Amino acid sequence: MRSSISAAGRRPFWDLRSRKRQDLLFCLCLLLPAVVLCVAFILIPIVDSVAMSFTTYKIANLTKNRPGEWNDFANYTRLWKAGKLQSAIGITARFVGITVALTFVVGMTLALILNTQPRGARFLRSVMMIPWVIPTVIAGLLWAWIYANPYGLVQYLVSVFTGGRVTDFGMLNIKGTALWGVIIAGLWKQVPLMTLLLLAGMQNVPDDLLEAAEIDGAGYLTRLIHILIPYMRSVIAVSVSMCIIENFKQYPLFATLTNGGPVGATTTLAVLSYDEAFVNNNYGSGAAVTTVWLLVMVVVVLLFNLVFRREKD
Amino acid sequence: MKHKRHPHAAAVCKAVAIAILFLFLLFPVYWMLATSLKTNVESYRIVPSLWPERLSLDGYRTLLRDGKFLVYYRNNLAVSAMAAALICAVSIFAGYALSRFRFRWNVILLATFSFSQMMPVISRLISLYGILRRLGMTDSHLGLVLAVSATQVPFAVSLMASFFDGIPRDLEEAAWVDGCGRMKTLLRIIMPLVVPGILAVGIYSFLMTWDDYLHAITLVRSPALWTLSQGLKLTYLGEVSDWQLINAASILGALPMIVIFFFFQKYMVKGLVAGAVKG
Repeated sequence: MRSSISAAGRRPFWDLRSRKRQDLLFCLCLLLPAVVLCVAFILIPIVDSVAMSFTTYKIANLTKNRPGEWNDFANYTRLWKAGKLQSAIGITARFVGITVALTFVVGMTLALILNTQPRGARFLRSVMMIPWVIPTVIAGLLWAWIYANPYGLVQYLVSVFTGGRVTDFGMLNIKGTALWGVIIAGLWKQVPLMTLLLLAGMQNVPDDLLEAAEIDGAGYLTRLIHILIPYMRSVIAVSVSMCIIENFKQYPLFATLTNGGPVGATTTLAVLSYDEAFVNNNYGSGAAVTTVWLLVMVVVVLLFNLVFRREKD
Repeated sequence: MKHKRHPHAAAVCKAVAIAILFLFLLFPVYWMLATSLKTNVESYRIVPSLWPERLSLDGYRTLLRDGKFLVYYRNNLAVSAMAAALICAVSIFAGYALSRFRFRWNVILLATFSFSQMMPVISRLISLYGILRRLGMTDSHLGLVLAVSATQVPFAVSLMASFFDGIPRDLEEAAWVDGCGRMKTLLRIIMPLVVPGILAVGIYSFLMTWDDYLHAITLVRSPALWTLSQGLKLTYLGEVSDWQLINAASILGALPMIVIFFFFQKYMVKGLVAGAVKG
């Protein structure tokens, strides 16, 4: 509120310093509810759960309101020795990596096409968002029905394409394909938002630059890689970061589609932490998984942003 | 230059790509609708029918009569509406503060907000359950609303702030000169100008909290308080699933979101894009 000096000058009893102090006070009051909500329901629980991960904390601690006991990283070592942590990290990495890459490629393709203003572009752009507004659990149920074994659509299509040789294909019951089932559902849910954001980013690319390049004989791919994508860098960085975070956090799709199975083939860090904490009621162990999860996610997002920033220079 | 040499081929490619991509995005939705209108006998045939041969509303009828679905629905409506209202109120104030008063700790605050936005829900829930239990707020809609709102507040605040950024500061200066207090200026003069922003935040929050599953499933235990996602998963998805019923429930659960989106998409899209594509 630097420009307010003149206004304050017209009111002699409003000393400049006191106005600034009052601004600060007013500002604090306005921010208070948001800060209290975030601190009480996000920051404190996070710190608390990290602390909990170093202790033995089970259902008895909860009911008797007893703090957990320090256990020399036993939660971590137990999960590591059982191989659960490594396997969950690997599956999470595969799920996030593949889903994000596919979402970006499909979203970019769709955005490029819609950006050429085909007939009905406006209509297409709004119906495109339907998968995004459908609640995640319902999306899960919907794909569970498509993959259902028996009676599902995918099973029928597989039997048609294999000429009737494979008639009981259960996408989610086979170790090798279950994760792909969730990936496709995730892709379906996230392509709309990715497309929407990339499409918005394309509006910032100067048309004359693209036209000049075309006149100079630059092919479509050259224009895409050397003009369009560099101009969209920040939009791509933001939308891909959002997509990475979203997929790291994905739980409802796993809960409705596979519940971590078959034989742990889709047990990501999210599923593992939920099972440890709320199925086995071992809260300390669940907190250990989420702490690892948190670290992995922060490192991945930071790395992504670092690489993306450096390429810019 | 491909376009110039084969304008026809390019157009065909584009049309085919659009067809494939939209088939992928929209056919599942159609399939959900079609299944909800088929009898299970028809759905469970070896060769599925593309359109129900005999329209059957049994799924919807059963749902509306079973006394559970409507309870979940009403609970979810109440939770999402309360959360959206709370998020709006909180983010109007905080967004205005962030947009107008630039103090040194604004950066720290924004960093904290965006950091807390990244947090996996489960990581918070493990200890939040204990905390709310101590406060006697587990198994209640109040605790759920507060917890769910908190997750959306960071994004809502920065979204709201970007709408306030678009309002010229001269307005406040003029109001100040006229002797209008700070709060009054915000409520009477500035707020009416950011109605699109408030709508965007409100609708976005409503959609996002309607989508919540994890908070509800960990913090709420009694079936009478279950929300829709929770109820759908716990009641209708079992070992032997009645797919007509599930798809009917899915249609009813998704429909309000689709309708709301189509009505308010102008604000929604603007808000989403403003939130993510600031540069």
